[in-house]
Amino acid sequence: MEPTSSAAMARQTWELENNIPAAASDPDALDAIYRYDEAAQARVQQEKPWANDPHPFRRAKISALALLKMVVHARAGGTIEVMGLMQGKCEGDAIVVMDAFALPVEGTETRVNAQADAYEYMVEYSTINKQAGRLENVVGWYHSHPGYGCWLSGIDVSTQMLNQQFQEPFLAVVIDPTRTVSAGKVEIGAFRTYPKDYKPPDEPVSEYQTIPLNKIEDFGVHCKQYYALDITYFKSSLDSHLLDLLWNKYWVNTLSSSPLLGNRDYVAGQIFDLADKLEQAEGQLAHSRYGMLMPSQRKKEQEESPLAKVTRDSSKITAEQVHGLMSQVIKDILFNSVHPSNKASTSAPDSSGPEPMVEA
Amino acid sequence: MSAPSDPAVATHPQAGAAAAASSSSGLTFKLHPLVIVNVSDHHTRVKAQAACSGDRASSAAAGGQPPRVFGCVIGVQRGRTVEIFNSFELVLDPVSGTLDRAFLEKKQELYKKVFPDFYVLGWYSTGSDVQDTDMQIHKALMDINESPVYLLLNPAINLSQKDLPVTIYESELHVIDGSPQLIFVRANYTIETVEAERISVDHVAHLKPSDGGSAATQLAAHLTGIHSAIKMLNSRVRVIHQYLVSMQKGDMPLDNSLLRQVSSLVRRLPAMESEKFQDDFLMEYNDTLLMTYLAMFTNCSSTMNELVEKFNATYERSTARRGGRGAFM
Repeated sequence: MEPTSSAAMARQTWELENNIPAAASDPDALDAIYRYDEAAQARVQQEKPWANDPHPFRRAKISALALLKMVVHARAGGTIEVMGLMQGKCEGDAIVVMDAFALPVEGTETRVNAQADAYEYMVEYSTINKQAGRLENVVGWYHSHPGYGCWLSGIDVSTQMLNQQFQEPFLAVVIDPTRTVSAGKVEIGAFRTYPKDYKPPDEPVSEYQTIPLNKIEDFGVHCKQYYALDITYFKSSLDSHLLDLLWNKYWVNTLSSSPLLGNRDYVAGQIFDLADKLEQAEGQLAHSRYGMLMPSQRKKEQEESPLAKVTRDSSKITAEQVHGLMSQVIKDILFNSVHPSNKASTSAPDSSGPEPMVEA
Repeated sequence: MSAPSDPAVATHPQAGAAAAASSSSGLTFKLHPLVIVNVSDHHTRVKAQAACSGDRASSAAAGGQPPRVFGCVIGVQRGRTVEIFNSFELVLDPVSGTLDRAFLEKKQELYKKVFPDFYVLGWYSTGSDVQDTDMQIHKALMDINESPVYLLLNPAINLSQKDLPVTIYESELHVIDGSPQLIFVRANYTIETVEAERISVDHVAHLKPSDGGSAATQLAAHLTGIHSAIKMLNSRVRVIHQYLVSMQKGDMPLDNSLLRQVSSLVRRLPAMESEKFQDDFLMEYNDTLLMTYLAMFTNCSSTMNELVEKFNATYERSTARRGGRGAFM
C-alpha cells in the first residue's frame, strides 16, 4: 500500500475514533458519503479490482442505520439465526454499507441458507427500494450467530465463496446479539473468503474469541479460508445531532437495565461449555503426561494450550459478570441506601411535602 | 429554512392543520431510536442525492430547501400503548400529492413477511412544522389504520435545542366553526430501547472502536456509561431542587399538582428494600463472586501447568544428559 493512502486512512480512523464533531468539518463533506454516484460504481464494476487480487477489500464502513437495523433484527430473532442483505457501494479498498434489510429466512442452528424465495424477496425489495431513492446495490449479506461468536461456519464459507464468484463486491457480516448484550459492546465481524486455490499468508488469528466446544471443529477447519475486515462506522451530521439529543431521553435505560438478568441462560451455557472444555483439556494433559518424551516443541507451534484458552474464556465471562454486578451495586447504593441522615441535605427545601425521606 | 419554532406553541393560520396543545386519547407512545435514525438517513440520502443532481436537472431542491421525505412507521399496538419499532420509505404521487398506494401496499407486504407482528401505525415526514397538505395524506391512510400517527422530524440542526426535534401527532375530530374537522394534536412519547438497541446506539453515538480493546478499556467504557447516566439523573434532580427552592422563596407560583408529583417521586425511595430483595441481591452477589473465584482457580491451574511444563523441559534435558530418568510428576 502506498504511504499516502495509509496516512489518509490513519487520519480518517483517528477522526472517527476520536469523535470529531460534525460542526468542525463541513457538514456537506461529511454527508458526501451518502451520495451515490452510479457512473463511478459502474466503473468499479468494469475494472473488477477483485479479479486478480485475492485481498482487494480491507475495510468495511458501516452506517449507523445499517448497524442499528442489523443488531435489532438479530436480537429480535432470539436464539434463532436470522439473515438479511446489505446495500452499499465500494470505495477504493473499502466496502461501504449504507443500509440493510431483513430476509424472510430463518436458519436453524448454523444452517443459514438463502433459498429461492429469499432471492425473489431480495429482487423485489431492491427494485422497489430504488424507486424510493435507495440507489445502492446489494453488497453483502449478514446473519446472526446467537451466542457463539462472530466467525464463518463451513456453510457460510461456501455461501460467501459462491457469492464472491458471481456477485462481487460481496461482504459477509456476522453479528452475535447474545454476546452483544452480555459484553455491553456490539459483537460484529465482517469477512471475505479467499479464492479457492489461494494459500493465505500464515498470519496470526486477528482476535481471539470464545467458541463453544460443539462448534470448534467447524471453526478450526474453515478459519483459514477467510479473512476479517476492519470495521469503521459513519453517520451523517443529522444522525450525530439526533443521537446526541437521544441521549437526553434514553439515559434512563442505562440505569434501568440489568445485563445479569437478561443473559442468565447465556451465562449458564457458557459455564457449561467451559466445564466441557476443561474436561477435554484435562484429557489432553493426561495424554501428554504419559507421552513425556514427545517434545513440547509441538506445543509451542500451537498458539496456546487448551488450558490457557479456557482461562481466557473464563476470565472474559467473569469480567462481564463483574461489570453487571458493579452496575447493580451502584444502583443499590444510589436508590436503596437512603438514610435519614441524608434528610438534612436533600429534603430541606421541600418543606411543603410531608418529610419525604423518613421511610428508610 | 428559518429557525425552527417550537411546535408546541406554533399556531398555524390554517385551522385544518393546526397543531393544538396535546392529545386526550390517552394513548402512550413508545418510539425506538431505529425509527429516528431511519428517517434521518432517508432525509440525508435524498438531500445528498439532490445536491449532486441539482445542477443537471432542476429538482425540488433548487431553492436550497431540502425536499421532504415521506415514509411509513410500523410497530405494535397493545391496549393503550403504541410502540413504534421500525419504518420504511414511501414515495409521493406527484400528480395527486398523496402517497403512492400501490407502492405502500407492496412495501407493507414485504415487511409483513419479515416482521409478521408489525402493523402500519402511521406515517412520517420531515419539516419544521405541519403543512396544509399533510391532513390529506393523513386521511388517505385512515383505511389502513383507523387513527394513524404522524411523526414529524425537523431536520434543521439547532445546537441550542436540548429536546429531540421529533414530534408525534394524532388526529382528533374537533368542531370548528360549526363543522367537524380533523386536526392534528401533539402526543407525548417516550424513547424505548431494547438492550441490544441501546448498546448499538451507544456504540454509534460515541463511535467506539469495534474491537473493544483490553479488559481495562472495557471497564472504563462501562463505568463511563453509568457515570454519564448518573450525572444526567443528578442534573434532573437538581432541576427539581432548584424549582422547589424558588417556589419556597416565592419566586414561582405554588403548583400543588407538581408538588404532589415531586413528593410521590421522592417517596419512591428507597426503590426496593425488603428482606427478599436483600437475600436475592446477596445471592446474586455471591454467585458472581463464586464465578470469579472459579475463574481464578482456572487461571491458577493454567499457570501451574505451564510452570510444570517448563520445569519438566529443563529437568528432562539435564537428566537426559546424565542418563537419568523420570521427571517431576
